[in-house]
Amino acid sequence: MDIKILLVDDESDFVETMAKRFGIRKMPIDTARSGQEALELLAAQDYDVVILDVRMPGMDGLETLREIREKNPLTEVIMLTGHASLEAGMQGMNLGAYDYILKPADFDELLDKVRTAFERKELNAKSRKQGG
Amino acid sequence: MPSPASREAEPGTNAPGILARATGARVWRDHSLLLWAHFLVPPVLAALVVAAALASPELAGILAGAVLAIAAVSARSLLTRLSKAEEAGLALNNQLIQSQKLAAIGELSAGLAHEINNPIAIIAQEAEWAAHLVGEAGQRTGEAFDEVKDSLREIRAQVDRCKNITHKLLDFARKREPVLQEIDVARLIDDMARLVDKEASYKNVTLVRTLPPDLPKLRTDAPLLRQVVLNLMTNALHAVDTGGRIEASARADGEVLEIAIRDNGCGIPPENIDKIFNPFFTTKPPGQGTGLGLSMCHNLVDGMKGQICVESAVGRGATFTVRLPRNPEQNLADGGRT
Ligand SMILES: Nc1ncnc2c1ncn2[C@@H]1O[C@H](COP(=O)(O)OP(=O)(O)O)[C@@H](O)[C@H]1O
Ligand SMILES: [Mg+2]
Repeated sequence: MDIKILLVDDESDFVETMAKRFGIRKMPIDTARSGQEALELLAAQDYDVVILDVRMPGMDGLETLREIREKNPLTEVIMLTGHASLEAGMQGMNLGAYDYILKPADFDELLDKVRTAFERKELNAKSRKQGG
Repeated sequence: MPSPASREAEPGTNAPGILARATGARVWRDHSLLLWAHFLVPPVLAALVVAAALASPELAGILAGAVLAIAAVSARSLLTRLSKAEEAGLALNNQLIQSQKLAAIGELSAGLAHEINNPIAIIAQEAEWAAHLVGEAGQRTGEAFDEVKDSLREIRAQVDRCKNITHKLLDFARKREPVLQEIDVARLIDDMARLVDKEASYKNVTLVRTLPPDLPKLRTDAPLLRQVVLNLMTNALHAVDTGGRIEASARADGEVLEIAIRDNGCGIPPENIDKIFNPFFTTKPPGQGTGLGLSMCHNLVDGMKGQICVESAVGRGATFTVRLPRNPEQNLADGGRT
């Protein structure tokens, strides 16, 4: 099953290595360097899972998260946080993020979370269809 | 009135048990034999006494004493049973009332937040525009406008604060239909605890995990449960002093999975214990607490067909316990509470 993933982070090095690592697993991903760019991509097409850095210059991660939850309620968001920021984590979870992962992200752990987030998205989409 | 929490029935009773005892009908059916005994044994014995009185007054006296004792014990045990059932009913009722109250408040606050959002947006825009104008003028007139600029900045800061509150209100009121996934609760708790660890270490607080390795999987909504666990842990961290201790534990109890967050912090005074699940109830200074955490937890746990309760003694700490059915769908089929 193909999972449509969008990685949002202003740190270019990180984005590139992650894209490569997903690529090796035959899971191509899209990337964005800012919240604004992410929202534009999300407006143009559907993503299953967004991996979102909470600390970005400009429109910050939490603001982006809020917008995503509003406009693309089915899309699941996994937050990336640089250091274990409790405040950001709390706000993110309360805003409806699926989960969070600490940077530097353990790739297998991230992959696992992406898969379960995707599973939830599919279940959610199915139940919404049935509910009307 | 006692809180649903402090009145929670003794540990080990599962939800159907509480329900059974709370609803008269089932109590009577299950215990009808006992009830017959309670009602019939004393009069039968009394009849015996009367019969004995005809034979020998002494024997009758002894018998009468014994009968009195039996009747007293019988009445006492019946009374205990009844008050237990009543107590369980009260706990259930309180949880229900709390849920209805939260639903009503949620609706009201969502409406309010919507209404207030528009004027707030206009104020923000106007302040922005004014700041822009003053900025241009400022280049010509120098410091004369500094104070105006300051107050405009303050207006924007306060508008942001209002926006924050209305957003939180809308989040609070948003209906979340749980999406059930098979989840590893131990891992979920540990994940959330890792978010708290760092902040805890600044305060020299230890966050202990007591998670049995053979914990069964739970079918529930993962992000909602994360939210609950994280909110409870954060509250615990706020409540403890430097050097304090928080324990996050989970255990299986029949068809229920129980998660407990225990701390040895300031505790909750009895006069507050009924209020802590109310939205906007907070004892924290403005800006630090919104008072929405626990009411949100209550909402979420309700949605997951579970129960949340608290036990606390001032100065000794607090324990928040969340009990979730391991298989909520099955619970529904059993005719559990919807
Ligand atoms: N673990 C705890 N120990 C002591 N008091 C607590 C604890 N958890 C919650 N409380 C009390 O309940 C109140 C409401 O909590 P909550 O709804 O999370 O809102 P907030 O944290 O924003 O104040 C807190 O202000 C505090 O007085
Ligand atoms: Mg709180």
